[in-house]
Amino acid sequence: MTDITPTKRTRRQAMGPFGPVSKAIDELDDRLGVAKGGRVFLDKIFPDHWSFMLGEISLYSFVVLLATGVFLSLYYVPSAQQVVYHGTYKPLDGQWVSEAYRSTVNISFDVRGGLLIRQMHHWAADIFTGSIIVHMARIFFTGAFRKPRELNWTIGLTMLILAIFEGFIGYSLPDDLISGTGLRIGYSIAESIPFVGSYLVSFLWGGQFPGSGIIIPRFFIIHVLIIPLVLIGLLAAHLGLLVRQKHTQFAGEGRTEENVVGSPMFPTFMAKTTGFLFMVAAASALLGAFAQINPIWQFGSYDASKISYAVQPDWYMGWLDGALRIMPSWEFMGVGHTIPFEVLLPAVVFPGLIFTISYMWPMIERRYTGDNEIHHLLDRPRDRPKRTAAGAAMFSLLFTLFAASSTDVLANFFKVSLNATLWFFRIAVIVVPIIVGFVTYQLCKEMQGVHGIGRRKRAVIVRRSADGEYSTVPAAPRPDDEHTELMPEPVPDRIDIEPLSNGGARVPEPSPTGVRQVTR
Amino acid sequence: MHAPFTRRIRAQILLPAGLLAVAAFASLAVFFPGTDAGAAGHTDASQIALNPSQVSTRACGTVNVKGVTGSVYNAGNPFKSTNRFCLNGHLISYGSHYITYTNPPKALVNAGRLLFAQTCSSCHGNEANGVGPTGEATIGPNLQGVGAATVDFWVSTGRMPAADPKAVEAERRATRLTPLQALELAAWVNSLDPAVPAVPTPHLEGANQSVGQDLFSLNCAACHTIEGTGDALAYGTNAPSLQVKNITAQQVVEAMRTGPANMPRFTGNLTDQQVADITSYVTGRLQHPVNPGGFSLGGVGPVAEGFVALLIGVGGLALICFWIGERS
Amino acid sequence: MTDVDHQPSRTRVPMPIAALSDPHMGDAARHPARVEKLIAVIFVLAAIFMGLFGAAYTQNWNPWVLGGTLGAGMFLLGFGLTAWGKYLMPQGPFVEERHSLASTPEERDAMAAALVERSAVVVKRRKLLGGLFALGAGIFGIVALFPLIRSLGPLPGDSLDTTSWRRGSLLVDSNGRPVQRETLVVGGVMTVYPRATVLVHAGPQPQITDEGQAVDQTILIRLSDENFVTQPGRETWAPAGYVAYSKLCTHLGCPVGLYEQELELLVCPCHQSMFNVRNGAVPQFGPAPRPLPQLPLMFNDDGFLVAQAPYDQPVGPGFYERS
Repeated sequence: MTDITPTKRTRRQAMGPFGPVSKAIDELDDRLGVAKGGRVFLDKIFPDHWSFMLGEISLYSFVVLLATGVFLSLYYVPSAQQVVYHGTYKPLDGQWVSEAYRSTVNISFDVRGGLLIRQMHHWAADIFTGSIIVHMARIFFTGAFRKPRELNWTIGLTMLILAIFEGFIGYSLPDDLISGTGLRIGYSIAESIPFVGSYLVSFLWGGQFPGSGIIIPRFFIIHVLIIPLVLIGLLAAHLGLLVRQKHTQFAGEGRTEENVVGSPMFPTFMAKTTGFLFMVAAASALLGAFAQINPIWQFGSYDASKISYAVQPDWYMGWLDGALRIMPSWEFMGVGHTIPFEVLLPAVVFPGLIFTISYMWPMIERRYTGDNEIHHLLDRPRDRPKRTAAGAAMFSLLFTLFAASSTDVLANFFKVSLNATLWFFRIAVIVVPIIVGFVTYQLCKEMQGVHGIGRRKRAVIVRRSADGEYSTVPAAPRPDDEHTELMPEPVPDRIDIEPLSNGGARVPEPSPTGVRQVTR
Repeated sequence: MHAPFTRRIRAQILLPAGLLAVAAFASLAVFFPGTDAGAAGHTDASQIALNPSQVSTRACGTVNVKGVTGSVYNAGNPFKSTNRFCLNGHLISYGSHYITYTNPPKALVNAGRLLFAQTCSSCHGNEANGVGPTGEATIGPNLQGVGAATVDFWVSTGRMPAADPKAVEAERRATRLTPLQALELAAWVNSLDPAVPAVPTPHLEGANQSVGQDLFSLNCAACHTIEGTGDALAYGTNAPSLQVKNITAQQVVEAMRTGPANMPRFTGNLTDQQVADITSYVTGRLQHPVNPGGFSLGGVGPVAEGFVALLIGVGGLALICFWIGERS
Repeated sequence: MTDVDHQPSRTRVPMPIAALSDPHMGDAARHPARVEKLIAVIFVLAAIFMGLFGAAYTQNWNPWVLGGTLGAGMFLLGFGLTAWGKYLMPQGPFVEERHSLASTPEERDAMAAALVERSAVVVKRRKLLGGLFALGAGIFGIVALFPLIRSLGPLPGDSLDTTSWRRGSLLVDSNGRPVQRETLVVGGVMTVYPRATVLVHAGPQPQITDEGQAVDQTILIRLSDENFVTQPGRETWAPAGYVAYSKLCTHLGCPVGLYEQELELLVCPCHQSMFNVRNGAVPQFGPAPRPLPQLPLMFNDDGFLVAQAPYDQPVGPGFYERS
């Protein structure tokens, strides 16, 4: 090179073939060695199936929760101290309320954008728990929890439980009439645990309900620091395991246990998933804008002797409330002690059982099937009818209990007796899961027996020739359907009635392709 | 008639005229239960009551007080009321600054009798005593001694005449009788066995909605819910919604003071002022809730919110996933 | 876009997805003009909505304007970005090989050997040290639990068994007014407290909590004009038809504030337990296991209702120590 004046071009070349990017990577790689692993990361393949994005809803609503939660924590005052409300909302003017309640009403009325952020936070929380459950249902029904992913199933389940607790605690923080009632119920549930119950609640609440007022700041720090911190740690582990073990995929052309087929991390997946982050945030913003949630100013501050009818917890606790409602009044009293089974069984033992079974499920299934292989290809739910039936029965049980948590609303809506509604659910909670499980099992079996069910037949074009003769021609295959679609059977010219032999009409045999063969 | 001319004038002209005026005010109050008519009725009663010659405690002695008895508070009790007005031994009106209770005028009794015979007697008996022509108990209860407010409440809310006399509870519906006819019925039923409470006219100008909210959540929300949506109660009964816009302040007061059907009677434990506060909260706030956050989703709480979050929130986002991802 | 294949100094890129001619690019990506325009319009709209959001925020407009503009802006941003990724960026199928995470048996054995042998060396030679360390750590572990169980809150003691009701406690309502014979009529109901614990929000130093009210709250119902007997042995408990029950549901402690006067039922608003007030609030429906405790009443010399005696049993939901 003769030109010694450093031009732009030569400077760039000195940095490396890609200019400043190369330079930055060089500098980083000298110190941290990021280039090799980073390159692999950029090339990382994510399968494109839509159901693999359900977990992203949870992830991004968690991001929304963190962002809106930080905003709220700047205004919320975690104190049970009684103060007089003199704010914008006149029907509370002059009332003695807790400072937590006053600050929450102020966020709703006096902080600019506060109501929107509060509602976004609440909607995002509902979406968070909901999408976790939908995501776990996908994992469960497709068998994605099998070896080697049992640990990630456990982590996910733990995050679900933490999310439910986090939601309940957050719901309690405004200290309004409805959430205070929920807290009262939570207190009594904890109190019902034999041996430790009364100690537990006394320590936690600082005395008998409603305690010394310490519960609000305690719940606050649990809500804004402890559980989010644990959730972030578990989330990192969850995603780390996903990266290390690579994503599962459905069976299909070119997809094996030894590969992952999909789109690369950068740029395709990155663009899609970042866009999706914005859309999840948009969903909570739009819900927060147009659908009012938890209007605490209408409820008033909590007072232990006030009560509203038709109080329910947020939906992810609803199944527990439903279980409490339909439980018969079985209490053990004797030998100087009381064991309130009518609380203990539905509110402590039952959820404990549900979550224990969920934790153990990978182990249970491995024991049952003897399958200790490593799986990266997912099951179709119909191919595992027993697992699918068990899952469907479990979900129907939980949903029935959730519906039972609004017996009064249903009774009012359908104009039937409250008592009859309750009895209906006492029966339904046993009958519905059995029916749903059985029907699901049979459906799976049926669908297994028919190959190619759910796929489209190729269309047939009917042509008319110049002579007026009609003929059929198969249409071109649809782009999605290549290789897997059903071939249409030719339309029969005439159908012969077989002579009756063996005393009955001949039944056409189903062919292996699932298309009935008609003899002509 | 040997009475002096002025006495005759008073008995034959002034009394009917006064009664007519009260009736007019009362019907006005029913038609326009808002501020104007209520305030007018209030000043009218207190101005007349200021005339010492017409105020006589003994003159009200004929009133049967088994409906609402005395108490330490000003709680719809004629003997404890500050603004009491009696005429010729009949309790015309009583009450306080916040609620004026007015008995329907005697002039309406005859019309009420005819109307009762036509529309009510088949269920309540000819004498409104719950006894049928052959001495058997009728479907409807004995109405003697329930007070004018009770009759006015049941008729003016359309619950009576009953759509289905055998139903567990009569439900609010479009009224079949005019407000004046309701007063006529109340006048006749009350004339059989005079009792209180009389028909109330609340004056809500000075009422405090905040106190009302406080008392509502302690006394009312347990059945009607904190947002006033109402709900199903035990054995097919229900607490009606208070958000229905055409529930008048007068009907709210009548319900609290008389305790229709399964609703408890709030008498001595709530003063007229407190009742007015609650009424103001019900008609001023529950019927016109502040929903700055968007659609209120029916005000039935977290279950509706959960469905919205799951169906619209998670469901909508899942649809977006469906668009983004591949579908085979 | 630089074509990486033209850089001989660096390794070849096995996944050449940075070229428009790449077969993985979809139709839209090879002819991007229309899609690009559409996405551009979406991004412009997003920018406008974001600007509107800023305006709405500075002007402090309605929450629904704030949320609507913010939501629309974010949705359009996300939608445009996703569409960009979906239509203009290389689509699969790309294939990545999965490598087994498992180590060889030799490597596993080596790790196990290292663990076992080294710890054997350490522990066998220094058994005493190990034991002492375990002792110290164990004691610390136990002591560390103390704050958890001893400074968080008081021991429950008998606080769950008692209330503030004493013989002679005056019944007052939430405004502190006492109850006379005429206060309620038949079919009336009110919530009462023992006078000492009522929180009248008038003083300069209100209590931080209403603990007393929570436990002592009692529901007073007038069932008749004469003395009323709910159960044998309670002949004098309901003078002039005034019956008082604890307002704490025996199921989960919700205030049983729902009284139906014709059915003469107290219903718990939380889980719909139903208590018949005529026979001592025995539960006749729902999950509540025990009757509501009844408070014996009497009139004092001034004609006010007072408690004859405290509750004869703990109020509220069940717990293990409840005998």
